[in-house]
Amino acid sequence: MTEKEDYGRLIASVASSRDREAFARLFAHFAPRLKSYLMRSGAGAAAAEDFAQDAMLNVWRKAALYDPARASPSSWVFAIARNLRIDALRREQRRTFVLDASDEPDSLPPADAIMADQETAQRVLAVLETLPPDQQKVIRLSFFYDMAHAEIAQQLGLPLGTVKSRLRLALGKLRAALEVSP
Amino acid sequence: MTMRPPNDDTLLAFAAGTLSSSHALVVETHLALCEPSRAWVHELEEIGGRIVSDLEPVALEPDALARILARIEAPHPEEPDAPAVSEMPGLPEPLRRYRMGPWKWAGRGTRIRQVLVPNEGEARVLIFSIDPGRRMPQHTHTGVEFTCVISGSYSDESGRFGPGDFEEADDDVSHRPVVDSDVPCVCVVALDGEVKLEGMLGRVLQPFVRL
Repeated sequence: MTEKEDYGRLIASVASSRDREAFARLFAHFAPRLKSYLMRSGAGAAAAEDFAQDAMLNVWRKAALYDPARASPSSWVFAIARNLRIDALRREQRRTFVLDASDEPDSLPPADAIMADQETAQRVLAVLETLPPDQQKVIRLSFFYDMAHAEIAQQLGLPLGTVKSRLRLALGKLRAALEVSP
Repeated sequence: MTMRPPNDDTLLAFAAGTLSSSHALVVETHLALCEPSRAWVHELEEIGGRIVSDLEPVALEPDALARILARIEAPHPEEPDAPAVSEMPGLPEPLRRYRMGPWKWAGRGTRIRQVLVPNEGEARVLIFSIDPGRRMPQHTHTGVEFTCVISGSYSDESGRFGPGDFEEADDDVSHRPVVDSDVPCVCVVALDGEVKLEGMLGRVLQPFVRL
């Protein structure tokens, strides 16, 4: 298991004093996971390595923009990587990709396994955990497959309509729960 | 006032980064104009952050740390996303990052220009400017079309769309929205798949879309 590091403080330290040691610790945690993320999304190892490098370079450059009141450190890093991915990955690369969904856990591990040091993160993740495992799974798979959902349906052995309705149901519950709570 | 947002699964796909860059740009335009959608996407990004945190790490190349440290030391030219390159006034920020092709006449009261997004692949991003009372060019398509209104408004079978409103049309939809504002309706559109334009507009739009 990973030690509980305060990534928000490391990002702040990079922003305020260009702290290379703090950055190296951020890199040690996030870069191998970003590489993993992109490989699961269809990239080869070398491209995924370059992607993790580019994403972390943006973390270094944009650290001053990080606002802990708005996002947890991991979602901020994720959004940086996501923006790069939109620009960098061609649809063709994603399409040819086949991932075995049986590797995917049915649900996310409990929230205390990570540091969610921010209110939004805690709320959305807490609500996510209240969803049935099959609904959590389609949300999770949506982060790796494109929105046609055809691959998700194939991987889960479900009709496309079932995947779509499951996803909409899950998103509707998330949205409703988040809107109701203050 | 509540804007018409994209479907939840479209916002999830945006948050996840699985949309084409062209479609993502139209979603980003909506997000720039709609605070509730921005807040909802932030929540979905938290799920993304959580998923990435939970992934089994993949070992990096042995020189990975040395490489990144060398890269952060290297001087770099200004961020490419910093300068606004578009001369069009009133565009939401995401669209100001890109150069635009020239305006082209596309029928009475209708002008179209292409947003020159990188890696556009199969999809195109176009800005339409349509005069009051005119209709959008008629077309059918096999892919997904996203539209976000920037100024003015139009109406079609599914209602009225004003600034910030987002509409998505699947295949087989052949709608002809009519501009019902007293100023031109300016909107940004991502088109995808096989686009079939009807009548003489097909020839006019040929340079913009892969037919």
